Amino acid sequence: MAELLLTSSYQIAGRDFDKGGEISTEVKVLLQKLEIDPRLIRRAVVVIFEAEMNIVMYADEATITFELTDEDIGIVIDDRGPGIPDLELAMQEGWSTATDEMREMGFGLGMGLPNIKRNSDVFDIRSTVGEGTVVTSRIFLDDHG
Amino acid sequence: MAEYEHGFAIDADVCDGCLACMRACPTNAIRVKYGTASVLAELCIDCGSCLTACPHGAITAQTVRLDDFRDFSFRVAIPSPVLFGQFPPDVRPDQVVHGLLAAGFDAVWDYSIELGLISRATVDCIRHWHGQKPLISNMCPVIVELLQVSYPRMLDQLLPIVLPRQIAARQIKQSFSRELGLPPEEIAAIYVTPCQAKTISILRPAGGGRGFVDGAVGIAQMYNTVLAEAQEAAKSGRQTYGWSPVRSAGILRWATPRPLAGRIGRDRYLSVTGLPDVIKVFDDIEKGRLRGIDYLECRACWGGCTHGNLTVDNVYVAAAKLENLISDLPEFDDGGQAEVERRYRREDLTPAQKPEPRPAVHGGDLRERVRRVKDAARIRERLPGLDCGLCGAPSCDVLAEDIAGERGALTDCVFISPQRIEELRHLHHRED
Repeated sequence: MAELLLTSSYQIAGRDFDKGGEISTEVKVLLQKLEIDPRLIRRAVVVIFEAEMNIVMYADEATITFELTDEDIGIVIDDRGPGIPDLELAMQEGWSTATDEMREMGFGLGMGLPNIKRNSDVFDIRSTVGEGTVVTSRIFLDDHG
Repeated sequence: MAEYEHGFAIDADVCDGCLACMRACPTNAIRVKYGTASVLAELCIDCGSCLTACPHGAITAQTVRLDDFRDFSFRVAIPSPVLFGQFPPDVRPDQVVHGLLAAGFDAVWDYSIELGLISRATVDCIRHWHGQKPLISNMCPVIVELLQVSYPRMLDQLLPIVLPRQIAARQIKQSFSRELGLPPEEIAAIYVTPCQAKTISILRPAGGGRGFVDGAVGIAQMYNTVLAEAQEAAKSGRQTYGWSPVRSAGILRWATPRPLAGRIGRDRYLSVTGLPDVIKVFDDIEKGRLRGIDYLECRACWGGCTHGNLTVDNVYVAAAKLENLISDLPEFDDGGQAEVERRYRREDLTPAQKPEPRPAVHGGDLRERVRRVKDAARIRERLPGLDCGLCGAPSCDVLAEDIAGERGALTDCVFISPQRIEELRHLHHRED
């Protein structure tokens, strides 16, 4: 059983494009202070950044929880929002329900969820339409920790 | 911990502990204890912000004068293209060459070929690059060090091509040793540099080892002599030199922040100047936010190399003069281009060494590192958050980390320790 060493959680509001992206920077700084392998830091940063973009585009609000255990980095994104009716479709690269306006801002390329999955060692997504979505990503630490 | 050498030194006798350098340092590498500033070598990226900020001249840079190369039999200048934009409009580049010779160089190298060669190689490399994008220019040594210290994972995106001044120096040693019958080590290849950072990177390359360039002399150090001689030549209208060092617009663009303008897709080519902006863009790259960009040109100085700390002219005036010179020139110089093609087929342009990551490491196992981070967070809550700097660290965050890492004490904070205020009062006491 992995031992939880450190945890922190962050609140983020939907449609707050100004602040979207700040949590990934905060976690990056934290992981750098923890002297985690830069390759793992980069993966965790991409996971959180993509999640933040999904939240500001679609959700009302969300909690992002970061955990460090002696075995891995855990990131749980729990949002209150519309939910995803067809998860299989949402996981396909390039599939997106973004509006033209979002696309003009450079978002909604349909790479968010696939990108989170690609950067995770363990990936899980559960969604209830009308309630929200919970995404769990875990990234295994290497020997150095 | 590895030892890092830097090109800047703080003179403890002159330093009065005023905190200006500590506040200017972009990587939080400076602490001021007992009325004297000191540098944490592993964090310093040789940007020179501290030197510019110091009001007392207590920070000095390792400087090199042409005279320091007197032991060489033959001294060849490699003029940074920035040099040619530093003179009044009536002074032509060929007259600047005349000025350099009068100032004591035995020859001035036609640097246009190597710059063309590197432009050619870079465009090719961008086209065939399959790694992470964007590729990042390796021209500015401060940026390379910033990557080593703060963005180690992005070092893979550093342009894998040797610097133009290095191949110029290699070529100089070869051709003059053949022409003069001298051993290559008796021929000095000397870069005429717009900034201290390049001097340092020549003496101590980021990748380790030693390049072909023997040293660098600052533009500011030669300026008066070169200007006087060049103006003299301009007045007499004399044809001073058989060739002009600047025969195409492409060469002078190397003095601007967008040297490859017109050669790669405009919308896929980004140029960022000034360290704070570069840091913002690097953060975006790390998040995967910067999409659709092939090549990123970064310079630590605002406005690019014309703002280097060893230049003379106002950065905006210099940029206008360069624009003016560029507009008078053809895009390509045919003879030069043929030589570029010939050498491109023949020469190996891979760098000898790749800069290695240099992250600040306190070490310890994972639990120890977690303990430090938690301690720092706990300590931080006891600090006022005003970032006054009187403790000798640039911010409350940094002091908290220093304490957790055992290189600071809670009593350094003036809010926690009245004794600290007394110490400071004593140190900075002024007679009325």
